[in-house]
Amino acid sequence: MFEELSQHILDIAMNSLSANAKQVQISILESRKHDWLVLRVRDDGRGMDAATLKRVLANRWSSKPQRRKPVGLGLALLQQTSEMCGGHFHVRSAPGRGTSVTASMRLSHIDRPPLGDLNATILALCATDKKMDVQLNYRSDGQKFSFDSREPATKGEVNL
Amino acid sequence: MNLEQLKQLKEKAQKQIALREGGKKYRVVVSMGTSGIASGAREVMKTMLDEIEKRGLDDVEVHVTGEHGLEDIEPVVRVEEAGGEKTTYARLDPEKAKKIVAEHLQKGRKVDNLAVGKQKKTE
Repeated sequence: MFEELSQHILDIAMNSLSANAKQVQISILESRKHDWLVLRVRDDGRGMDAATLKRVLANRWSSKPQRRKPVGLGLALLQQTSEMCGGHFHVRSAPGRGTSVTASMRLSHIDRPPLGDLNATILALCATDKKMDVQLNYRSDGQKFSFDSREPATKGEVNL
Repeated sequence: MNLEQLKQLKEKAQKQIALREGGKKYRVVVSMGTSGIASGAREVMKTMLDEIEKRGLDDVEVHVTGEHGLEDIEPVVRVEEAGGEKTTYARLDPEKAKKIVAEHLQKGRKVDNLAVGKQKKTE
């Protein structure tokens, strides 16, 4: 359904927005050496209790729109992508304590979607109508950089 | 992604955040729920931002929201005018998005064949 991992990231981070997060942190680790790609989206939104989380993850391929809080399909989709590519998927969440979604996959797996247009994803998240700070940390074997919407022009520029 | 792209991102994001301030003639709202993203809403948004910048339109602000409940006709973009008129455009792609920028946002002419539903006026 999504052709790029950056679309998954946007989708998960839009859930953070619906959960009234004030801040969302995206981290991407890409290691050729260890053959892993790990994505994490962490927010300080309202979080989910165990029952909600269970329902949300069990809801894969349900096309029924959940009007009240449209999470569900997106998390299940990322879980599917991650497991299909030899990785693991994990969500940690509790009411009032935010949500952290971690998805790993084998970098070299033939079905692994490309990271894609990460810039467009970050731009979209900077354009939301509620005020949510966006942070990105990217790391690979030879490269590292960060982005922070609170100070977009000055921070970052770390090069190895 | 490389450092050059990151630098561009920082500049663009800064502009984008400034565009959130409000009080512009046109407010463009892009629906970015799961179904929107899957059908290309992010690319539509990016095209519109690029096109708005290219044409130097400074009386336009672009916002992103969650699902509008219109998942069958995504990607959906709503153009709200300062006077209260709202137009909903549906089933968009980057080419159609460019047309909306050139016609509606630059010349003030609604693109009827891309619009759906009735025009809404709010007080």
